[in-house]
Parts: sequence; C-alpha cells; structure tokens
Amino acid sequence: MGKSVKEIIMDGNGYACIQCGRCTGSCPAGRECSLRTRKLIHMARMGMDVIKAEELWDCTTCFTCQERCPKEVKTTDMIIEFRNIAVEEGYLPTMADVPKIIIKSLYDTGAGQPLSPEVSKIRSIIGLKKEAFDVSTNEETLKKFQKLLDGLEISKKGGLNNG
Amino acid sequence: MDEYAFFPGCIAKNVYPGIEKSTRMVFEKLGIGLKDYEYSCCPPPGVLASYDKPSWLVIGARNLLQSEAEGLNPMTVCSGCYGTLHNVWHTLKNDPELMDYVNEHLGRIDAKYKGDIHPIHFIDVLKDYKAKINALKEIDLGLNVAVHYGCHYLKPSDATGENSERPTLLEEMVGLVGCNSVPFKDSLTCCGAGGGVMSGEPDVSLKIINTKLNNMQDAKVDAIVNICSFCHMQFDQSQMKLGTTKIPVLHLNQLYGLAFGIRPKHLALHTHLVSTRDLVKKVKAAKKGG
Repeated sequence: MGKSVKEIIMDGNGYACIQCGRCTGSCPAGRECSLRTRKLIHMARMGMDVIKAEELWDCTTCFTCQERCPKEVKTTDMIIEFRNIAVEEGYLPTMADVPKIIIKSLYDTGAGQPLSPEVSKIRSIIGLKKEAFDVSTNEETLKKFQKLLDGLEISKKGGLNNG
Repeated sequence: MDEYAFFPGCIAKNVYPGIEKSTRMVFEKLGIGLKDYEYSCCPPPGVLASYDKPSWLVIGARNLLQSEAEGLNPMTVCSGCYGTLHNVWHTLKNDPELMDYVNEHLGRIDAKYKGDIHPIHFIDVLKDYKAKINALKEIDLGLNVAVHYGCHYLKPSDATGENSERPTLLEEMVGLVGCNSVPFKDSLTCCGAGGGVMSGEPDVSLKIINTKLNNMQDAKVDAIVNICSFCHMQFDQSQMKLGTTKIPVLHLNQLYGLAFGIRPKHLALHTHLVSTRDLVKKVKAAKKGG
C-alpha cells in the first residue's frame, strides 16, 4: 500500500507547483518555526531528501495551504504521506513516542485519549455513565477490534508486540 | 423524529465530558434522537494518518459501518473526528481500489463497509432547528464571543463543501441565543493542536495558540465558543500553560445548554481549567434582566 515519494508527488499534483509561496505565506506554523511548505515541495521534486526534513512534523494539518494553492497542489495530503515514509524509514525527530502512546491506548481501550479516574468521577457527578458506551464496553467487541488492528501496518509501526 | 448515530469522540467522552453531557441534553430538548454504537477513536486525522494512512482508513471505516444497517448517519461534536470520518467516507466513495483494500481487512472480522451513510457535523444538524432553538431559549445570553470552527470542519473544502475563507454559520448560530460574534484578527487560523504538534512540538503549538488568544483578548470577548472538542481542549489547557489570558471556553452545545436554562454544573462548566465563574454570573444577571 505504501507510496513512493514520486507517486506522492504525482497523486498530489506536485509537478504543477509554480513555487509561488502562497502555501508558506498562509502557514500558521511556519510563522513560528522553520516549516516552509514551498521548500518541502521543491525538495521532493528535486529528488532531495524530503523524508528526513524534521519540519515535516511541524505541520498541524490545518489544510490552509492546500485550500489556497492556485495550482490545486495537495500540499497537506503530501506532507501526511511523506510522514508515512519517514515513519517507515525510521526518521522520527521529535514526536517519535507520541503516536506510539496513542496507538497503544487505541489498542488497549479503543480510545486514543484514555479515561482517567478523575474524569470518570466527573462523569458520574454530572449524570453520565462512569464510562462511555463504546468499543471497549463489550469484551468480545474489543477483542475483534484488536484482531483488526493486529493485521494492520499501524501495529507494526506503533511497535505493538502482539505477533 | 430525526435520529443520528452519536459519535462523541475521545475528548468529549474522556477529557471534557461536559461536551457529551450538553450534547445529550440539548438534543433531547430539541427532540433529536441520539443512538450509541460501539465506536473506537476516530482515529486522529493528523497523528494516525501520518503514521500509516491505509490503517487510518480501515479504522475509520469500521466506525462508519456501525450504523449502516440502521441507516443512521454518524454525528460528531468534534471537527477533528468529523475531518477523519468525512475524509475516510469521501476517499473510499471515490476510490474503489482503496474500498476493496479496506474491506479485505474488515473481512477478517466479518465486517463490510458499503459507504451508504455519511458522517455529519452536529452544527449541520442544528442549522435546520433554528426556530426550535429560538423557541427553547430561556435566556438571551448577551455575551460577546469569539467563534472558532476547527480547521477540519471547513477544509479541505472540495470534500467538506464549506466556504472555508468566509464561513458565517457559527456566527449565526451564536446569534440565535443572543450572543454577538466579535470579529478579531486572523480569526480562522488553526488552534495549533493538530497533526501531532500539540504533543510532539509543544513550543510551536503554544506559540500558535498564544497569538490566537491574544487576538481574541484584544477583541474583549467574554468567551470562546467552539464546535470542536479537540480545539476546546487546546484553548482551555493552553491558557493554563501560558498564563497570560483567562478567556472561558465553551462548546456550542454548552452555550445552548446555558441559554436553555440548564444548570451550569450539569454542563460541567465548573470542571474547565479556565474559570467560568464570572461568565456564569453574567448569564444569571441576563436571566434576571430578561
């Protein structure tokens, strides 16, 4: 299923980019850090190592650049897909453990953000069930969900040790 | 009676349960049915899709198919969950090859996704209930508010169909309960939480939200009103970390709860990190005045 950088550029209409820089000018993260979307697209097209660029991980995926691109380049989609390759090749600069924690929680409880005892108490006080009804309520359903995850790439990439 | 499959999402269930509660109460008053299903995390549009997009599609499709047999559209109260579910639905509808890939995996647990029903954001449900909201309103709140949509409700607009540069719906919806949406600088910029940036690059995330909060403060608003649980969390938690502004944060359903005369404690307003006490006082004064 994994795409190459070239396929990502093709699918994302990246060769249509005229390097106008509207993406970089629109980027809320780029105002605060070194993320330059125009540069990333350029690097990818020139065959430079875009996968190793740490600033790929500064993108909040707000889609403003993609929305405003005059050539309909799928900039945000491309950044997300470049990240997929970065994960596969082991280039995870700063947020390395964050998705792993979320993936583990997703596997164990079905929720990316698990319920704490404090919030469970608040739930009862305001008249909700202590735990919300979801994939983890019925043990059989949770097991089935875990079986689904076992066969997905995300389990391997997330370092889940479940055979 | 209108009925939807209620997709609360992790934040409204497990971090800010006042959002789940207010949604249930407001929808009950409006006579809109909400049915629960065995949902998992959406999963997050930034973090999980960045790790492995195909897996993200499969897990998202498993959520979407839950209510397919009953024909109920899943309704979200978070623009992040909406972004995932809507994007998954839109992608699979237009790509038979990916649909086959997803169903190959779902087949391992004897499930099949057809794509017959589509996810809906709760504000798009409420926009057809304007007259009823008006009729149920007990208090004209009279608050000046900064509205925030959450990026993934609006964008990418070729999928969402929204006007991403000049939306007006949320402004109109707060107006129904006597609130004034105050214009502020760069009002549509991201809250800075998405894409894994809040956890992975916290300094960048806080700088983005700090600029946004200061712009809201300059506009002298009484509260931030949002339609996204994830942004809600970022607005509330980041103000504690930054310590420069103290603007109360309300989900639209909490705002409607207040206007419908529901007690603030039942909406869990007292559990927010940024105090809502002065805001609640204002609402009580408005009730007496009205």
